[in-house]
Amino acid sequence: MLNKIWASLIIIGISFAFAQDVYDEVYNTHNNGIPVQFELLTSDTSHQQLTLTTSTYKLNATLKQNNKIQIHLSSDSPKKFLQISAANNQKNNLIADIISRDNTSITLLFPEIHWEKLREVTQAAFDTAEFAVKLALGLIGIMALWLGLMQIIEKSGLINYLVKFVQPFLSWLFPNIPKHHPALASISMNMTANILGLGNAATPLGIKAMQQLQKLNHNKDSASDEMCMFLALNTSSVQLLPPVTLIALMGTQVSELIMPIILATSCSTLVAISVAKLFAAQRRKKRESCNS
Amino acid sequence: MQQLTSLIIPLLILLIITHGLIKHIAVYEEFVEGAKEGFNIAVNIIPYLVAMLFAIAIFRASGAMDLILNTIKPLADQIGFPAEVISMGIIRPLTGSGSVGVLAELISTYGEDSMIVKMAAVMFGSTETTLYVLAVYFGAIKINKTGYALQAGLAADLAGFIAAIGITYWYFS
Repeated sequence: MLNKIWASLIIIGISFAFAQDVYDEVYNTHNNGIPVQFELLTSDTSHQQLTLTTSTYKLNATLKQNNKIQIHLSSDSPKKFLQISAANNQKNNLIADIISRDNTSITLLFPEIHWEKLREVTQAAFDTAEFAVKLALGLIGIMALWLGLMQIIEKSGLINYLVKFVQPFLSWLFPNIPKHHPALASISMNMTANILGLGNAATPLGIKAMQQLQKLNHNKDSASDEMCMFLALNTSSVQLLPPVTLIALMGTQVSELIMPIILATSCSTLVAISVAKLFAAQRRKKRESCNS
Repeated sequence: MQQLTSLIIPLLILLIITHGLIKHIAVYEEFVEGAKEGFNIAVNIIPYLVAMLFAIAIFRASGAMDLILNTIKPLADQIGFPAEVISMGIIRPLTGSGSVGVLAELISTYGEDSMIVKMAAVMFGSTETTLYVLAVYFGAIKINKTGYALQAGLAADLAGFIAAIGITYWYFS
């Protein structure tokens, strides 16, 4: 399932970008080779500075040698010009040829752009690969902090109290974890962090729990029933407090959303548990029929 | 409630350290011993995260999602269902930053008080970036075969998605 989803994201993405580019080539939607006329608003010839305008936007430009003009762009310039500039690797600048010019108007020919969507897709792929590494390395600090604290909890025996306390709740969800196993403590701490909306504590604690579940796993390169159940619980977790990003986006409005979120996450948690249990039962049946 | 969260972590750290001291644990040494693993885990995650995020980035950059949305929109309009909310439902399991972007855009177009934004916000709070969580959690223990974890996680997201729509409608009308 994961393999298929992963592959289809890539295949759909690239084929779609390709199809769009072919369409753009055939119908010349980028208007390649078609001169564009602008009105000249001010023309300060001594400094070679110009302001170009159409009915919707203004552009500042500088005259260059060989009948060329350099247009200065900012991030809110029309998307079309930004695209041309990016396609030619010119940061915030755009060099165009001057076709004709008089006192009130100027006609320019812009560089051509081809296969724009594919270029964007490739750029996005490279950028995210880099971003993924930054993201992972950014986890080191918070991960080290929580793993350090977890180590103290384990050594001091504090974990045993916690395990005893959560055992009755968790043993139904995770029937194959032996009694008094420390994995139960990590799982319960991760779930608490999730419920309270403490995202950056939840991830390290969840990873700790996964490591402990891996120790109990018989087949080290594939996920056990417990791991699947744990992941499902994590993605559906009941939220008493909304996540920090939601508070940042919605401001005080967020308080009236708390109740609906609690109800909706209760539904999703129930579904997560049932689906994981169903799959586990199916797996068990398959295994039994293989053995007999 | 908000104040409670800001109390919980410092109190928990205090409890952990004092209990360790009472039990005669070399707290500093043990902390460092445990923290050492942090680096290895982060490095283990990298290949899984690169694989997952780059596939999602290609899909997003291609604009295929806009096409899907534009196809659904007339259908959704006919039954009086806001198609904008669907974009949140599709993008939420894929990327966190993407779904924040969608929500911010909806807020600026429709305002915090609109039903669409409330629905999208409840959806945002009720579901997870399942593919990211899957990559991080299974990456940390180097598991490639994820069994039925993805199915269960996506089923939970779908349930959260539907529940968010139904419950927001019911709650605010």
